[in-house]
Amino acid sequence: MTEHLRCESIRVTFGGVVACDNLSLSVPKGKIVGLIGPNGAGKTTLFNVLTKFQPYDRGHVYYEGVPVDDRRAHHMVHMGMARTFQNIHLFKHQTTLRNIMTGGHVLMGDPLRAMFWLPEARRREREIEARALEIAEILRLTAELDSEVGALPYGMQKRVELGRALASKPTILLLDEPVAGCNDDETGELQTLIAEVNKEMGITVLLVEHDMKMVMQVCDYIYVINFGANLAEGTPDVVRANPEVIAAYLGVEDDE
Amino acid sequence: MTDQTTTDTFGARPTDGIRRHAAVTSLKRRFVRNDLIASAIFFTALLVLPVLPAVKGWMLSQGSLIIIYIIAALGVLVLVGFTGLVSVGHGGFLAIGAYTSALLTAHFQVDLLVGIVAGMLMAGLFGAMLALVFLRLSGAFMAIGTLGFAFFIGTMVNNVPLFQGRDGILLDSNVVLGIEIGDHGFFYVSMVCLILVTLFIFCLINSGTGRALMALRDAEEAARASGIDRMKYRTLAFTVSAAITGIAGALNAHVVNYVSAEVYADIWYSVDILMAVVVGGSTVIFGPFLGGVFVVMLPFFLEQLADFSFIIKGVVLILVLRFAPAGIAELLLRPIKNARRRMLRQAGGSTV
Amino acid sequence: MLGQQILSGLATGSLYALTAIAVVVVFRNTRTINLAQGDFAMIGAFLGVIFLKQWGLNYYAMLLLVVACCMLLGAVVERVVMRPVADSDWLTLFTTTIGVYYILHGVAGWIWGRDTKAFPVAFDATPIDIFGALISEGHLYNMGVALLIGAALWWFFTKTKQGIAMRAVTDDPETAYLMGIPVRFIVLLTWVMAGFIAGFVGILTAPIIYVSPEMMDEILIKGYVAAVFGGLYSFRGAIMGALLIGVAENLAGGYLGSHFKTVTAFVMIVGLLAFRPQGLVGIQRRRTI
Repeated sequence: MTEHLRCESIRVTFGGVVACDNLSLSVPKGKIVGLIGPNGAGKTTLFNVLTKFQPYDRGHVYYEGVPVDDRRAHHMVHMGMARTFQNIHLFKHQTTLRNIMTGGHVLMGDPLRAMFWLPEARRREREIEARALEIAEILRLTAELDSEVGALPYGMQKRVELGRALASKPTILLLDEPVAGCNDDETGELQTLIAEVNKEMGITVLLVEHDMKMVMQVCDYIYVINFGANLAEGTPDVVRANPEVIAAYLGVEDDE
Repeated sequence: MTDQTTTDTFGARPTDGIRRHAAVTSLKRRFVRNDLIASAIFFTALLVLPVLPAVKGWMLSQGSLIIIYIIAALGVLVLVGFTGLVSVGHGGFLAIGAYTSALLTAHFQVDLLVGIVAGMLMAGLFGAMLALVFLRLSGAFMAIGTLGFAFFIGTMVNNVPLFQGRDGILLDSNVVLGIEIGDHGFFYVSMVCLILVTLFIFCLINSGTGRALMALRDAEEAARASGIDRMKYRTLAFTVSAAITGIAGALNAHVVNYVSAEVYADIWYSVDILMAVVVGGSTVIFGPFLGGVFVVMLPFFLEQLADFSFIIKGVVLILVLRFAPAGIAELLLRPIKNARRRMLRQAGGSTV
Repeated sequence: MLGQQILSGLATGSLYALTAIAVVVVFRNTRTINLAQGDFAMIGAFLGVIFLKQWGLNYYAMLLLVVACCMLLGAVVERVVMRPVADSDWLTLFTTTIGVYYILHGVAGWIWGRDTKAFPVAFDATPIDIFGALISEGHLYNMGVALLIGAALWWFFTKTKQGIAMRAVTDDPETAYLMGIPVRFIVLLTWVMAGFIAGFVGILTAPIIYVSPEMMDEILIKGYVAAVFGGLYSFRGAIMGALLIGVAENLAGGYLGSHFKTVTAFVMIVGLLAFRPQGLVGIQRRRTI
């Protein structure tokens, strides 16, 4: 089991507030790994660290065994990492097709050639379009290809974003709360899709999620963090039985 | 599992349905920027102009002037419309293009075409340098920075002896490929430049590069998550934009065969170009066409009342921003666009 | 020589500072970069000429009347032009002020012509000796008035109800509105204040550079640059920036030759924007623009 993505002793502070303190995790190739924890535990921060959206004070990130501390977010995409956002970031006034095609940016090659429509660039462009259409079919978005995404229902926008991420031919996919705000049907649908993406396309998945039922069903391995530090890890059954995890979650429920 | 397997599982061989759909969508995508047709009609109208017997020399140079303004405004359009950046300093690039070409012509008697290319390259070079300084800025800061740039260029032109300040540099008549050309010839040269620039911008915004620029414009985070390098693409856009305006500058030097600080040190040139884009419309290629005509023709009709044309410009600008913020072109093209969208929806519906 | 350069630099800098303050006030409260700020002052200067020459008013009555007229102009621009587009993005707001710029420019040129006019107030050219540095009466007067206005604005922002309300609007318009602060009135007041400052700037500038529709263009740009020094937000940064520009360009002009004088501001802004885009004075919280 080779390792795909790993971080070591990550520390992030905002002003004086410590968001992550000494966090480590490792994602093996081809697996679905879940990252859970109560609100404010630092999940999204860690997630942004892994995708290089968030600078960190200490620690290292390794991608396929190579340190990537000096890489920027867009470099990671070219290396095969794709991500989605908790609160959907899409090009709202553009069509579904364009959104997914923008995701295929890494396949475009040299921008100078592309803007002069050189034959090579046009071939790549056709490739990006064909791929976008395939993804749309897999994600059942074909009927909405020419609609503005801003006008689509929430669950569908989530799928468009997934499509945008998949269009870059990723080898690892990081999903930040993929089913947050979705109803039961939409959740089920997305859950199936994630499993499909993993099994049929062989893409490694790391997901942050609140929906425990979904996490337990879909993940091979789970990391639990709390107050910016590692709390527990293991297979779903092990994590479910861990008394510290239960305590952490019960504590949160008291607050709310 | 390796990347290769991923591609295979997910690989080519689209079904017939997808292939049919691909045909329809490429058609659709080709029509997204259907203002190319509007531009083509405009070209035809302009092409007929010199042939008409009633057309006199001054009308031709007025026509050339309109073309020059449109090219300059198209340069700004690349930034304002498709990259979401703003420049109040394109008069600076206009001046760079003009003086580059003028100096080459005055000192080395180069061909007009060489002058145009040199003006374009020089402006592009300055654009790239400016981009590197200003690209970390956003919105308002960039506006002020670029305004400062135009001011800087104006001061240079006024004070550096090479540019001969307000006395200006007088140029010989224009030569293309060894043949001296008159007003007609110059008009056609400008025309060809405009057509090439228009086609280029059409290619740009309908390519992956244009898609990346618009992605940055619409949602920066999502663009980064798609692997788009913000600095790289913005520098590219700034360079292209400056180069296009540089072409306009070179032409502007040769339309009257004269450059002087009187004209190019005026930073409000920049404001005029921006205004042409805003009034005409910054979301469609056809926008700067209307804006260019407006900005050139208004003072022309009100020659005796130059200041009155200022007032009208101001009022029109304010009214357009209030009642048609996307510009006049968008207003004119909207019905066509809607009709086409309806048509395509039916076509799409029947295939899927 | 050096002291003198610095002093007259501070004198010009104080005019930039006033313009920069007006730019910052408007930007803070309305997200608008007001391109017409210079034209408010230009109109003021023209009115000053009329009041002095045709109406035969004395200097102080003229000043009072000009400032009142400029405040009214600010109010009219806000009510008629800016308010209808107040909710638009910053580019629309900015280009709308370009429209105002065109109109004021055109009106001035139409009524008063393009030629430069001498302002009928001349200061005694005999320099005054201050700590060994010589400074003209006009520069001294300008610095004095600028200081007074600065003090008045400080008093307004810290002591008066409206001033404190204005700062609340700057920080968070929504909350200010919910707290019962009349946000619209405050925005109107912002533009009136821009007019108030412009009135003074116009009258102070006029004796130095003659009166014409383009008279304020250069000062306006320097004022912008100074405002950027304060991140378009901080008054202190803007004032510091303005004085810095005034002194630096005077020194550059004195020691390197007059070519360098006008370029100084651009070089400074490039340096600043390249290395400290957030402005000279660090700002913790910046609204997205």
